[in-house]
Amino acid sequence: MKNTISKYYPLIPVFAAYLIMFIIGFFMPGMWQMVALLAFYCALGQSWNIFMGMTGYVDFGYVTFIALGTYGMSLGISYFSQFEWLGIGILVIGLILALFLASLSALLEAFIALRLRGAYFAIACIGINEGLRYFIEGAKIWGGSEGMIFFGALMQAFGKETVNQLTTFWADFSVFIIAALAAFLNMHYMRSKIGYALTAVREDEDAAKVMGINTTKYKTIAFLTSGLLGAGVGAMAWGLKLGHVYPGDVFVIHYTVECIVVVLLGGAGTLLGPVIGGLIYGLSKYWLAVIMPGFQLLIFAPIIIIIIVAAPEGVVGLLKRRLKGTQLEMFIE
Amino acid sequence: MIFTLLAGNLTHGLLLGGVYGLATMGLSLIFGVINVVNVGHGQFIMVGAFVTLTMFTTLGLSPVVSIPVALILGMALGFFFFYTVMRRLIRAPELTSLLATFAMGILLEEIAKLIFGADFRGYNWGVGRITLPITTIPMSKVYAFIGSIVIALFLYFWFSKTRLGTAIRAVIEDNEGATVCGVNVGWIYALSFAIGIGLTVMSGVLLTMFIPVGINPYMGGGYTLKAFVIAVLGGLTSPYGAFFAGLIFGLIENGAYTLFALIPGVAPFPLTVSLAFWMLFFLLLVKPTGLLGK
Amino acid sequence: MPLLKLENVTKRFGGLVAVDKVSLEIQAGELIGIVGPNGSGKTTLFNVINGVYPPEEGKVFFDGKNITRLPAYKRAPLGLGRTFQIPRPFGSASVRENVAIGAMFGTLADKVSVDDSLEIADRYIELVGLEPHKDKEAGTLTPVEKKMMEIARALAMRPKLLLMDEAMAGMNPKDIDDMVKFLKRIKDEENIAIVSMVEHIMRAVAGLAERVMVMNQGAKLIDAKTEEALTDPRVVEVYLGHPTDKSKWRSEVWKEGKDWDE
Ligand SMILES: Nc1ncnc2c1ncn2[C@@H]1O[C@H](COP(=O)(O)OP(=O)(O)OP(=O)(O)O)[C@@H](O)[C@H]1O
Ligand SMILES: [Mg+2]
Repeated sequence: MKNTISKYYPLIPVFAAYLIMFIIGFFMPGMWQMVALLAFYCALGQSWNIFMGMTGYVDFGYVTFIALGTYGMSLGISYFSQFEWLGIGILVIGLILALFLASLSALLEAFIALRLRGAYFAIACIGINEGLRYFIEGAKIWGGSEGMIFFGALMQAFGKETVNQLTTFWADFSVFIIAALAAFLNMHYMRSKIGYALTAVREDEDAAKVMGINTTKYKTIAFLTSGLLGAGVGAMAWGLKLGHVYPGDVFVIHYTVECIVVVLLGGAGTLLGPVIGGLIYGLSKYWLAVIMPGFQLLIFAPIIIIIIVAAPEGVVGLLKRRLKGTQLEMFIE
Repeated sequence: MIFTLLAGNLTHGLLLGGVYGLATMGLSLIFGVINVVNVGHGQFIMVGAFVTLTMFTTLGLSPVVSIPVALILGMALGFFFFYTVMRRLIRAPELTSLLATFAMGILLEEIAKLIFGADFRGYNWGVGRITLPITTIPMSKVYAFIGSIVIALFLYFWFSKTRLGTAIRAVIEDNEGATVCGVNVGWIYALSFAIGIGLTVMSGVLLTMFIPVGINPYMGGGYTLKAFVIAVLGGLTSPYGAFFAGLIFGLIENGAYTLFALIPGVAPFPLTVSLAFWMLFFLLLVKPTGLLGK
Repeated sequence: MPLLKLENVTKRFGGLVAVDKVSLEIQAGELIGIVGPNGSGKTTLFNVINGVYPPEEGKVFFDGKNITRLPAYKRAPLGLGRTFQIPRPFGSASVRENVAIGAMFGTLADKVSVDDSLEIADRYIELVGLEPHKDKEAGTLTPVEKKMMEIARALAMRPKLLLMDEAMAGMNPKDIDDMVKFLKRIKDEENIAIVSMVEHIMRAVAGLAERVMVMNQGAKLIDAKTEEALTDPRVVEVYLGHPTDKSKWRSEVWKEGKDWDE
């Protein structure tokens, strides 16, 4: 029993980091906004890492899930806010719709795109994302390019006071929850057969099949998990928090790239990596936005290149190497 | 009536398709030789567009002059990025080269924004227009089409008749075999990357003839995606395949637009763009090696 | 009922017939060698048996079940283990994890937990003598160590039939003798059939297998008791390009344990 628990020790630093962030945000005036931004990046990095870090597949279209999550929540609020008796239940419906849309697209993508490898897979995922975005705009579904604005509906359903609390606290708080959940699932997969199967897939997919691994099944599990978590972040941090959605705002590949930067900075395939990466990225973005607004990307682009060339293992990869053989080893994964 | 319209639009599509084809040859060349998908491809097209705009508006030089300038600048950029970054990533996992090229693209966008600002801009190369029974076409588009064909043909002969060109084809065919046959693969990598980027920047010059006010730092992303569709259509590693696929793509794009415009209650432009991606998706599914590929 | 049965299996690559109408039966617990010159289709035959690709013609039966079209990942749990000619370790995982993956998804797949698999892994790592390297990344092993690791990984699958593709290539005579002893012991202890594929090393085939199948240009040349097969004039001719005195062949090439190439 002790053995089983100790296998999950690497979660301790992760949860500790989230807790500290939360406490700082909650008790120090004026800090909540920044902490929420950090949680957002940690959650996305953690979620994306479950698929990309473990399988080595590059999904440039990951933002599709975040976008569909946003749409799910938006649809839930827009269409169900008229039923007053539903109360806070409309948010539950929104979340369910978000997860439903994301799993639909994840399964479709898994069926089609996961049969491709490497560059072909990456291209296919970009294709799905763009195809979906322009289809929404072109066929004018869900408001087409004008999107959906449902802040009013939200106000009507809950009143100013509650909406204020929802958008400034609970939306961000649920991102924290998702980040923690993502970390837990990540750890759990690492320690279960899923993790071993995915390692085999990452290293040599054909040999993995010969070893008896149903590669499609395990890739789909990781893909779906990662997609659903992303949809959750979208539903809360974009849908509920902002009160509107435009296709041109959400199906944006740049957000996938942000996830990639977060994960790479911290260390792909590690548990603590996305947290460290999220903190570094979020803080520097926040800070750069203050001191030189509009030039963040100009600074980040060369940084990405430098990391890739000079430190592809990321911070946690380096840290793990340092700590190998010490007492602390069991806490870092 | 509708047929005249369709025929007219298809003519425009064919002309644009030639430029699309040229714009994709570089992507295929780079993928064929160093197995890297240049995710920052479109941003190099954007560089070509700004070169043309600047030379035209500040120096009063015709876009014809911009063509060699763009080629040289593109190749210089290609060599620069190759020796600073790409060289180290050829054997690395795919993820890293995808990210590196993406980051290059962002870097170019942001530098362009720093220099030119984020506005949409354009210029007017007044070289008259030609009237056909079905439509009227600005001569600039015709010249762009001719230009892309001339460049593609030139490349074709260069590939098949020169020693260096043959060596590049050998590397595309078989990496290890080529090393044995005494081809200096390292130099071939660098050169192909540079030529690929050079071609792409050059195609940006020709593209400006089709986008009267569409030049801006963020114009590239859309072309990257179109280039993917075209490259996959053409077999991904074959520059000639890419050229023909470009022609086909231009036709489909304009044809589909004409038809979508007839459907009430939809926005034909985004629908056309989305069609391209469903096409890509379908292609990858049924024949990942490309329709025109082996 | 034979454990494995091939019926007229044919596999083509374009115009090339890599495996040409091969039929073969292997009984449970048997030790059989497959020999043949380079490119004679041995590896391809293995790939057909364990489902890397389906054959164009013919059928494959395992344990009485027609598995001709079964995907590879469904064959391993039935009891088909395999090592590769060029080792394919999961490079970034440790030796222990590699071997555990074998246990996890092999015939015991439904019965063992991750922890059980790691324990099973330890047993087989000890068996092949890789204990000191247990926690190393598999990608950092030497080629011979990688081969041993693959054997441990395949054994941890607890297969009924183990396919070994050139497991002894690149080993010195002493290692080969040890390996032969090891395989015989394993065969009896674990009660598995072993098909070992060897290309040149006669010493190994002669000492190891009770029965040998010789392949040439994709087709089965002969399938007989080891001594008989290896001294058959047709076989000698395939290897030397010309017929030779039988006793000379035996004493010089076979019994002395030289490579056929020499
Ligand atoms: N995937 C493939 N595509 C095309 N041809 C192949 C493929 N695999 C094998 N071949 C060809 O099939 C023939 C048989 O190859 P195979 O590897 O099975 O021979 P082998 O007996 O294992 O040889 P070796 O002793 O070199 O390992 C060879 O001519 C080889 O070139
Ligand atoms: Mg072989």
